Amino acid sequence: MSGAVTPELKLPPKVSGEKPGVGHMEEFSVNFARFLMRCNDECGELAEYNMAGQQTVLMSGPAAQEAFLKGLDKHLSRAAAYQATVPVFGKGVIFDAPPDRMKTQLKIQVDALRYQNMKSYAAVIAEEVEAWVSDWGEEGELDFLDEFIRLTLNTACHCLLGADFRYRMTAEFKALYHDLEKGLQAIAFVDPYLQQPLFEARDNARARLQELISEIIAERRADPDTTYGDALETFMSGTYSDGTSLSDNEITGLVIATMFAGHHTSSGTAAWTAVELARCPEYTADILEELTALFGGGQDLTFENLREIPRLEAFIEEVLRLHPPLVLLMRRVIEDINYEGTLIEAGKTVAISTYGSHRNPVFFPDPETFNPCRDRASTPEMMWAYIPFGGGPHKCAGNAFAMMQLKSIFAALLPKYEFELVDPPEDYQDDLSAIVLKPSSPSRLRYRRRT
Amino acid sequence: MAMKISIDRALCQGHSVCLGECPEVFNVEESDDAYPQVVLLQETPAEELRDKVMAAARYCPNHVITVTEV
Repeated sequence: MSGAVTPELKLPPKVSGEKPGVGHMEEFSVNFARFLMRCNDECGELAEYNMAGQQTVLMSGPAAQEAFLKGLDKHLSRAAAYQATVPVFGKGVIFDAPPDRMKTQLKIQVDALRYQNMKSYAAVIAEEVEAWVSDWGEEGELDFLDEFIRLTLNTACHCLLGADFRYRMTAEFKALYHDLEKGLQAIAFVDPYLQQPLFEARDNARARLQELISEIIAERRADPDTTYGDALETFMSGTYSDGTSLSDNEITGLVIATMFAGHHTSSGTAAWTAVELARCPEYTADILEELTALFGGGQDLTFENLREIPRLEAFIEEVLRLHPPLVLLMRRVIEDINYEGTLIEAGKTVAISTYGSHRNPVFFPDPETFNPCRDRASTPEMMWAYIPFGGGPHKCAGNAFAMMQLKSIFAALLPKYEFELVDPPEDYQDDLSAIVLKPSSPSRLRYRRRT
Repeated sequence: MAMKISIDRALCQGHSVCLGECPEVFNVEESDDAYPQVVLLQETPAEELRDKVMAAARYCPNHVITVTEV
């Protein structure tokens, strides 16, 4: 992409079916992943649609996706595109912070996910998973989406906020969290400040969560000699370049942003992994064999031991291909772009669809077939086609944490229990009613202890 | 055959896995206001470091490190 704009540039082709006033909003809201696939089918690499007045250009294919993902904030702004997150994360936090402060906040967030911390997170996750399955008994039936929402909220809290907070968590906390998630539906990306009960609940939840987290911050400030080894400690010790610390509001916001980034994305992927394992007994048998070889002697699920489990990794990667938790990534165009002879004007939004990219038959033949053994990353071009964590300078910084957690969960579960579907296979569908993809409810599986 | 290491700093977010695996070859430079970044201490390390270098490259979450044979 270059900034040089000449008069003979084309404009991106427009997607059909636009309605007065709302544009493509209605079709988008029904199933945005399928809508974006239609845009690409109809118009090709660039496809312009209208979100209630906000012109948005969908960029499809590895080359366009690479240009999108390599874009720097000063050209393709994440902050301007993700204003819907501001009431959720808080004023002055990440996408509402001035560029320099945003950069530092994101750096402090990644500091909490570095190598040293990951080792203690692995131990915490193993402990949580063991506690979680301890009352399962010989056999039973569970809604695994609900179960994984519960488990990953516990692991996220425990890793990021410490044992303290984790064991004092109440039903209230979970309900607040749920309200925040509902506040990020598609309508929030049009106007997150509409008068709606949904947004009122979101704002009340944000305020109350800040009270809860501020209490813990105050307790820790009063007891400066204790160390915790969790993300909150990293956030509290982080500083801006002028030496000042993050405010309570910013720390709270960073906690919410981190939990939000890691929680529902992980629970949805874990639930889809469980469903696909139940649907694919032949792959499950191969993974079980691999896990037995690695952990059959009672080896612990430590960070080191979890680093390399190729069959399980390939299986999870295939889950992420068909069910990428974040379907739609967006940026706001800050200055006019010349993309291969087409003008994308400043003020428009550009978007990429992981869901559509992962179903492109050129790169993923027979795309709807679940096949862990297929190629997903053998060439640079494939790397820009397979983008469950995005890519480039703004790639999801939690990708290693997410993979480690998923591997830990299934390395613990599979040797203990076998799983089967309760409902007909076609009843398990992608649910796109929230911004994070998950399996449709209920996601019931039957489990039985292995003999 | 000897190893030659190259790094793509544009992809680095400072996760520091490489530093954990092979501190003889990789360091991570801290920065006040941006992601810390990997720094290569040796471009063509000795053969006895091969396993550690390969582990650093394999486990880097952002695939920043490339090892070629020269």
